[in-house]
Amino acid sequence: MKVTYNWLKEFVDFDLPPAELGDLLTMLGLEVEGTEALGCGMDQLVTARVVEKNQHPNADKLSLCRIDNGKEIISVVCGAQNFQQGDTVALAQVGSVLPGDFKIKRSKIRGEESCGMLCSEKELGLAEESSGIMVLDDSLPLGIPFFEAIGIKDTIFEIGLTPNRADCLSVVGIAREIAAKLGKRVRYPSVVVPEYGEPVNSRISVMIQDPVGCPRYAARYISGCKIAPSPKWLVNRLNAVGVRSINNVVDITNLVMIELGHPLHAFDYTQVAGGQIIVRRAKEGEIFRTLDAQERTLLATDLMICDKEKAVALAGIMGGENSEITDATTDILIESAFFDPPAIRRTSKRLGLHTESSHRFERGADIQMVPKALDRAASLIAQLANGSVANGQVDNFPTPKTAVSINFRPEKANAILGLTLSSDRMAELFRNLEFQVKPVTNGSFQVTIPSYRIDIEREIDLVEEICRLNGFDQVPATIPIAQVISDRPNSHQKLQKTVRNHFVSEGMHEIISFSFISPDAADRLLLGATDIRRNSIKLCNPLALEQSVMRTTLLPGLLETAARNISFRSLDLRLFEMRRVYLPVPEQDMPTEPIFSAGIFCGSRDQESWCNQTFPIDFYDIKGVIDNLFNLLNITNVTWSSDLPEPFYHPGKCCNILSSKGESIGSIGEIHPEVLKNYDIERTLYYFELNFEQLVNLSSERKNVIPPSRFPDSVRDLALLSPDNILSSQFMDCIKSLKLKELEDVTIFDIYQGEHLPKGSKSVALRLRYRALDRTMTDDEVQVIHSKIIKVLTEKLNVSVR
Amino acid sequence: MREQLEQMRQQAVNAIAVATTEDALNEVRVRYLGRKGELTGLMKGLGGLPSEERPKVGQLVNTVKDEVENLIEQRLARAREEATAKRLATEKIDITLPGRSSSRGSKHPVTLVIEEVSEIFAGLGFSVAEGPEIEHDWYNFEALNFPPEHPARDMQDTFFVENELLLRTHTSPVQIRTMLKQKPPVRIIAPGTVYRCDSDATHSPMFHQIEGLMVDIQVSFADLKGILTSFTNQLFGQKTGVRLRPSFFPFTEPSAEVDIACVICGGAGCRVCKNTGWLEILGAGMVDPEVFKHVGYDPETISGFAFGMGIERIAMLKYGISDMRLLFENDVRFLKQF
Repeated sequence: MKVTYNWLKEFVDFDLPPAELGDLLTMLGLEVEGTEALGCGMDQLVTARVVEKNQHPNADKLSLCRIDNGKEIISVVCGAQNFQQGDTVALAQVGSVLPGDFKIKRSKIRGEESCGMLCSEKELGLAEESSGIMVLDDSLPLGIPFFEAIGIKDTIFEIGLTPNRADCLSVVGIAREIAAKLGKRVRYPSVVVPEYGEPVNSRISVMIQDPVGCPRYAARYISGCKIAPSPKWLVNRLNAVGVRSINNVVDITNLVMIELGHPLHAFDYTQVAGGQIIVRRAKEGEIFRTLDAQERTLLATDLMICDKEKAVALAGIMGGENSEITDATTDILIESAFFDPPAIRRTSKRLGLHTESSHRFERGADIQMVPKALDRAASLIAQLANGSVANGQVDNFPTPKTAVSINFRPEKANAILGLTLSSDRMAELFRNLEFQVKPVTNGSFQVTIPSYRIDIEREIDLVEEICRLNGFDQVPATIPIAQVISDRPNSHQKLQKTVRNHFVSEGMHEIISFSFISPDAADRLLLGATDIRRNSIKLCNPLALEQSVMRTTLLPGLLETAARNISFRSLDLRLFEMRRVYLPVPEQDMPTEPIFSAGIFCGSRDQESWCNQTFPIDFYDIKGVIDNLFNLLNITNVTWSSDLPEPFYHPGKCCNILSSKGESIGSIGEIHPEVLKNYDIERTLYYFELNFEQLVNLSSERKNVIPPSRFPDSVRDLALLSPDNILSSQFMDCIKSLKLKELEDVTIFDIYQGEHLPKGSKSVALRLRYRALDRTMTDDEVQVIHSKIIKVLTEKLNVSVR
Repeated sequence: MREQLEQMRQQAVNAIAVATTEDALNEVRVRYLGRKGELTGLMKGLGGLPSEERPKVGQLVNTVKDEVENLIEQRLARAREEATAKRLATEKIDITLPGRSSSRGSKHPVTLVIEEVSEIFAGLGFSVAEGPEIEHDWYNFEALNFPPEHPARDMQDTFFVENELLLRTHTSPVQIRTMLKQKPPVRIIAPGTVYRCDSDATHSPMFHQIEGLMVDIQVSFADLKGILTSFTNQLFGQKTGVRLRPSFFPFTEPSAEVDIACVICGGAGCRVCKNTGWLEILGAGMVDPEVFKHVGYDPETISGFAFGMGIERIAMLKYGISDMRLLFENDVRFLKQF
C-alpha cells in the first residue's frame, strides 16, 4: 500500500516530519518498508526560462540554449525539439541528482559547454514515458525549486500491511491510525452530490440472486459525462501511489478506492441492457472477456455482475470489455458493492487475476462504506466530467449488519500484557480508535467495533489494540516468575553434539545438503531392485525434478558435494553430514526420520607440507575415525563383516558394521567405480554411513575404569610367517582367547608381502607389551606367557615364527 | 705430610681453575678423588702415622677433599651453564614455517548458530524439543489457527507429499506436539529444518528455524520482551538495542516483529538494514487462545508466549554472508572458515 504524506495531511492534522511519521506508522504495526522523497533534496532542480534557442553548430539534432535560471544566464545543450524561446522549463543545474541516481555535471557536448539539463517528465520520475521536455506554466517565478513550484513536493510511504489490516488499504484508514495514536479526529471528505430530478430507479434496478456472495449492492446513474484526460493534480496523485491514469471517470473510481478503500466500478450505462443489474453465479463453462481483453472460462462458483442478457463484470475483480468506459461514453452506472471475501479470493486465485479491487475485497471491505464511496465518486464525476447525477442511490442491502460488540476486562488485558494501565486509560485508547465504550458491571466494558475493523472479534483482539496503541515500546521487559523446570538435554541431544565434535576433531567439515534429492539417485547408487531405500517419499509439487524425493541415504548429497568441490580443485576432502533421512513405514501414514551420520573422504591423509610426506587416504583412515567414535561412545563388541556388501561400494574394500545382536549400525568402504562414474567423479572416494539412532542405543556410560599398573613393562616383538588369507582379526581373536591378564597391549606393527617370502604367504609383525598390576615381571615369567601365545598361534593358524 | 697435603691442594685448585669442560673436570676429580686418586692415596697412607697424629691429619685430608670436591662441583655447574648457554645461542629455527598438525575440521555455520542459541536458552531454563519434518496439515496449519484459505496453505508456498502430509513450513507444529504431550508449565525451544517453495539469493527451499514456547500461569507479553531482550543481548552483545513492533501471525495475539539495532551500521542506516537502522530477526507473540483450545489448555487460567527465528538470517548477520545459497553449496573453502 502506497500513501503520501501530503495526502494523509488532508485527512488528519499532524506536525510530524515525514521520517517521524514513518516511525510512528511502523510502531503502530503499519510497517514502512520504503520511503521515496518526491522532490525532496532536489533544490538544484529549478524553474527557468529559455531566453534563446539556437541550432547547435556541430549537431543537427541538438539545440544550444541560453537559459535564465533567475540569477544568471547559462548555456545548456538540449536534444528535445518540443519547446520554444520564452518557454518556462525545468532546469537540472550542475549538482542535481535526478531519480535513478543520475548526477548532472558540467560537460561539453560536441564542443559546446552545457551547464545543466532541461528535463522531461520521465527524467523527473513523474511519468513512465514522455516525449520531449516538460514545458511549464509561464506564470511560474524563475529560479525556485521545481517540485515546490508545481506543488508536488511530497513523501511516498510504501507500507507493508499484514493481511489482517484490510481497513488500512486506504488513505483514510492510515489517517485513522495516525489520528488514534495522536488523539486527533479524522476529517472525512465532505460530499455533496448535486442531484437532478430524475429518480435513479427509473434508470437502474438491482437484483441480488446470491446474497451470500453479495450482501450489498448500490449504484448511481450519471448522464452526460464527458470522458477526457484527468486534470494534472489527479494524474499526479495517482502516479504517486503507483496507479496509471486512464481517463477522468476511471481515475475517479481509482482515487476513491485509494482514498476510502472501497473499490468501485464504472459501466457504460448504454451497454447494460435495460439498466438492470443482476448479481448471480456464473454458468459452468461460461466464457467471459474481461477488459484486459482476456477470455476467462468460468465455474458455477464464480460471482458475476450481469444485465438481463449477459455478464458485464467479474464481480469485485475486473469489469467486462463489453461495458467498459470508452471515449464515446456519456452515461455511466457506478457500482459500489460488498462481496464475500472467500468468493472473490477463490475466483481471483484460480484465474491468476489479482487486481487492486480483488486485493481489497478478498481481505474484507467495509460494508458501511458502500453508499459513502458511491457518493464521493458521483460528486467528483459531476465536478470533473460534467455529469448530471440522477436523484438517489439504488442500495440493495437485504440483511443489514449489526455492529460487533465485545465484553472486555481491563484486568485481564493488564495480566496478559504485563502492564498496569487504568481502566480510564484503556477506555480512552478505545475511543481514540473510534470504538464505543460502555462500562458494565465489575469493571468490564462493552466495546462496540466500527464496521471497518473486521479483524476485531474477540477480547484478545482488543487486548492487542490496547498494547498497540499504548505503544509496544511502553511494555516493560520483565523476567517471568515461573516454576523451575530442570531439564538437561537428553542423551539423544547430547550425543549429537558429541558425535559432531568427534568428526570435527578428526579434521572433517560439516555440510548441510537438501533433504530432497533426484529420483534417479537410487539407480546411480546401483541400489538393487528390491532395496528398501528405493522406497522414498515423493513431493507432489517439487521445485525441480532433482529435488523431488526425500532422501533415504545421505550418500547422494555427499557425492554431489564431493563432485562440486573436486571441480573447484579442492582435492583433499573430509566431509560429514549429520541429518535426517526419511523412511516410509508400512501401514503408517507418518514416515520415520532417523538421523544418520555419514562422511566422505578423498585425496591425501595429511595436508601437503614441508615436514611430511603425503599418502593417499584409504579404507583404514575411515575405519580409524569410526573406531575412535565407538571408543568415545563406549560402544564395544561390534562386528566388521564383509558379507553382503552394499552395492555402492567396491566389493573387496568395504564392510558392514554390526552390533553384538547382529543389528546393522552402518557401513564403510571405497565407493564403487561405477557409482563414481555416475556422479562424474574421477577420484577414489571413501564413505561411511552410520545410523545415529543405533549409536544412541548402543552407547553406554563408561564404568569400571582400570587403574594403570605402577610396575615396569616388558616388550616382545614377534614376526610370523603366515598364509596370506589369515585376517588380522584372527590373530587378535586367537591371542584374546587366552585371556592373559598380564598382556597389556598387542599391536600389529608391520605387514609384509613379496620378495624373500614364499608365494601365498605374508610376514606379520606383532608387538606385545606385558605388565602385571601387582609386581615387576621377571624375564622368565614373561617368556612363559609369550611362549603360550606363540603356541596358540602356530597351532591354530598355521603360522610359523620367522 | 702437611706440606705434601698443602702442595696437593694447591695443584688441585690450579687444575680445577684451568679445566673448562665437564670432561676435563671429571678427569681432575678422578686424579685427586678417584679410587686411585692422589688425595685418596694420602688417606690410605695415614696408617703409617703415629696413632695420636692420625685423627688430626685425617681431619685435615678430609677438609682438603671436601674443598676440592666443592670446587669441582661449582666449576662443573658453571661449565654446564656455559655449555647450555652456548647451545641455546647457536640453535635457531624458522618460526614462520607452518605448524605440523592434523588439519582442523569445522561445524556448519547453521549448526554453530543452533548450538549457540540453544545454549543461551538452556541458560534461561528452556529445554530442547523436536518434531517430524514430514508433518500433518493439522499440526502445521489447522491447530495453529491458520484459516483454510490462508495463502501459506497454497501449493505455491508449501511442499506437499503423499497421504495428505506436507513438509513443515515452520517449526511451530512442535509447539502443538509439545502441548498435546504435556501439561503446563512448558518452556521449550525447537530447532529444526523447515521447507517452503522459494529459491533465490535470500530464500532457500530448505532452511532452519528455532521456535520457542513458554506457557505457565501468568506469563505476560512483558515477560516475552524480557526473555527476548536477554537472548538478543547474549547473542549480539549487551548493548544491542531491541524493539518490538506490532505484527500479525495467525497463532499469536498480540503479535510482534522483533528488531535489533543493525549490527552492521550500529543503527545509523546502511544497505543491510535498508537505511532503517533496524534488522528484523524474530517473530513473536502471546499464544492465541484458539491455539490453547486446540491442545486442551484453558486460556482463562494459563497464558504463554511463542517466538520463532530464522537461523540462516542470524548466521548471515553474524558472519557477514550476503547470499544464502553459500550456506548450502558446501564449498570447503567456505566451510573451512568456521
